[in-house]
Amino acid sequence: MNYTLIGVSIFIAMLASLITGRQIFAVIGGVGCAFALALWGKGGSALAFQASFKLLNWYSLMTLPLFVYMGYMFSVSGIADDLYTMFHVWMGPVRGGLALGTIALQAVIAAMNGLSVAGMAIGSAIALPEMLKRKYDKVMITGVIQAGSSLGIMIPPSVVLVLYAMIARQPVGQLWLAGIFPGIMLAILFMIYIVIRCLIQKELGPALSKEERDRYSLKDKFKLLRASLLPILIIFFMSGLFFLGVTSLFESAAVGAAMTTLAALINKRLTWQNFNEVLRETLSVTCMFMWVIMAALAFGSIYDGLGAVHGLEKMFLSHGMAPWEVIAVMGLTYILLGMFLDDTAMLIIVAPLYVPLVIKLGFSPIWYGVLYTITCQIAYLTPPFGYNLFLMRAMAPKEITLADIYKSVWPFVMVMILGMILVMVFPDIALWLPTKYFVK
Amino acid sequence: MCKAAKSYVKFIDNISKATGEFAMFLVLGLMGILVYESITRTVFNRPHIWAVEISAFVMTAQYLIGGGYSLILRSHVRMDLFYHRLSERGQAIADVITFFPFTLFYLGLLLFGGIRGIQYALEFHQKSYTAWAPPMAPIKIIMVTGILLMLLQSIAEFIKSIATIRGEEIP
Repeated sequence: MNYTLIGVSIFIAMLASLITGRQIFAVIGGVGCAFALALWGKGGSALAFQASFKLLNWYSLMTLPLFVYMGYMFSVSGIADDLYTMFHVWMGPVRGGLALGTIALQAVIAAMNGLSVAGMAIGSAIALPEMLKRKYDKVMITGVIQAGSSLGIMIPPSVVLVLYAMIARQPVGQLWLAGIFPGIMLAILFMIYIVIRCLIQKELGPALSKEERDRYSLKDKFKLLRASLLPILIIFFMSGLFFLGVTSLFESAAVGAAMTTLAALINKRLTWQNFNEVLRETLSVTCMFMWVIMAALAFGSIYDGLGAVHGLEKMFLSHGMAPWEVIAVMGLTYILLGMFLDDTAMLIIVAPLYVPLVIKLGFSPIWYGVLYTITCQIAYLTPPFGYNLFLMRAMAPKEITLADIYKSVWPFVMVMILGMILVMVFPDIALWLPTKYFVK
Repeated sequence: MCKAAKSYVKFIDNISKATGEFAMFLVLGLMGILVYESITRTVFNRPHIWAVEISAFVMTAQYLIGGGYSLILRSHVRMDLFYHRLSERGQAIADVITFFPFTLFYLGLLLFGGIRGIQYALEFHQKSYTAWAPPMAPIKIIMVTGILLMLLQSIAEFIKSIATIRGEEIP
C-alpha cells in the first residue's frame, strides 16, 4: 500500500476517534499504538513507552511545570495589585484609560509569565470589577482581558515558543527575542482599537471623575511608580540573565518561580491553603500538557517511520505551488485541525512535518514560530479549545453572561489577524532583534 | 454495583489522592535543585554534573506519579463539540465504549513497553549517556509505577461510569 494513503488514513482515523469525546491523550495514544502494531507488528508495541522515554532528554520541558507554578503563584502573590493601581491612577483620566491600562498591565505580566493563566486570573479578579464599577462596557472589557492575557504566550518567557523550539530544533533564545516586538505590537494594536472605539462610542469607557482623579496628588502619583520596581527585578533575574547567557533556560524559569514565591511570602499572601491550591493546579495543568505531549510524540513517531516529511514535500512541491500558497494552506490546516485538537497536540504532530518544508521554501523557522504563536493566541480566544474562554467562564462575575464572553472576543481576534498579516508582510518585526543578537 | 467494585474504586481513589498530594510537591524539588545549581554554578563557579538530569527525573516523576490524581481532578482536555451536549448518562455511555479501544489499549501498551524497558535496564545495567551516567532502572521503575497508577485509576473511572449508567452513586 502506498505510504501517502496510509498517512492520510491514520490522520482521518485519529480525527474521527476524537469526536467520541474521550480525553485527547488517550485517543491520540490509542490510535498511534494501533497503527504502530499494524505496521510493524511486535516491534511497534514498545513505541508508546519509547516515545515517553524520549521526553526525559527534553530538558527544556522542565520550564513547563515551573512556568505554570509561577503563573498561579503570581496571581496569589499580590505583585499585580500595586501594579494595577499604578496603571489605574496614571491612565484613568483618559477616556477608555482603564482598559488601556489593563492592556499595559497584561503586557507587563506577560513578561513575567509563560502562559496566559496569570493574566486571566489577575485581569478578572482585579481589573474587571474596577472597570465594571466605573461603567465601562462589559463586553468590551471582557474582550480586553482575554486578548491582553493572550500576550502571555508571545512576550518572553513563553511556554509555547519553548515547545515550538524543541519540535522545530531552533534555539529558544532566538524565538523569545523574536516574540518581543510582535508582542508589543499586538499590545499597541489592542490599545489603538480601544482608543478608536472609545472615541466613536463615548459611553464605552468613561474617564475617571474629577473627584477620583484628585484623590492622588502628583507626589502620590510618582510614589506609585515604585510598583514597577519588583516586576523589573523579576524580569531582570529571569529573562534578563537568560538573555545575557548567565543562566540556562530552565534555571531562569526556576529562579523566576522562586522569586515569585518569595514575593508572595513578603506580601504575606501565602497561606498553607492557597499554597496547596497553587500546587494542585500546577500538577493538574502539568499533567494535562505532559500526557498530551507524550501521546502526541508516540503518534508522531509513526510519521517518522513512514517518512512522511518527504511525502509531504513531494505533495506540496510537485504541484508547483508558490511558497506563500503553501504557507496559506498550512494555515488552513491549523484551523481545520484546531477543531479537533488542542494546540499542544497539534504542534507536536504537525510542526515536525511542516517546519522542514518551511525551511526548504526559504522562510525563516523563527519567523514561522512567531506566526504559529499568534495562531495559538487566536485559538486561546475561540472555541472549541479556547483556554482563555474556559478560564473566563470560570472566573467572570455573574453579570457577565456566556453570550457576552463569546461576543467579546471577535473584535480582538480581528486585530490579531491584522497583526499576523503585518508580521507576514514585514517579517522584520519578528526577525530584526534575533538577527541583531544571538542567544542560544 | 457489587461490593468488590465499590471497594476497588474507594481504594484506588484514595491511593491516587495520596500519591497526587505527594507528586504536587515535587515541583518545589525541581525548583529547589535548579535554583541551587544556578547559584553554585554562576556565583561560586561550581557546577554539578547531576543537577540537570536529576531535575528531569523529578519532573518526569511528577507528571507520571500525579497522573492518576489528574484523572480525579478532570484535568484532561476532550474534543467536546458533541460530548458536552450529551446528558450525564450519555457521557457515561460514551466513556464506557471508548474506554477499551483508547484508554485501556494505550495505557496497557505503555505499561507493557515500560516493563520490558525495566527488564532491559536491569539485565544490561543500562546507564544514561551523560557525563554523570546514572543507572536507568530506578527512573524507569518510577515511570512505570506512575503509568500503573494511571491505569488503575482509569479502571476506577470506568467503574464510576458504569455506576452512572445504572443510576447508582459511587461515593
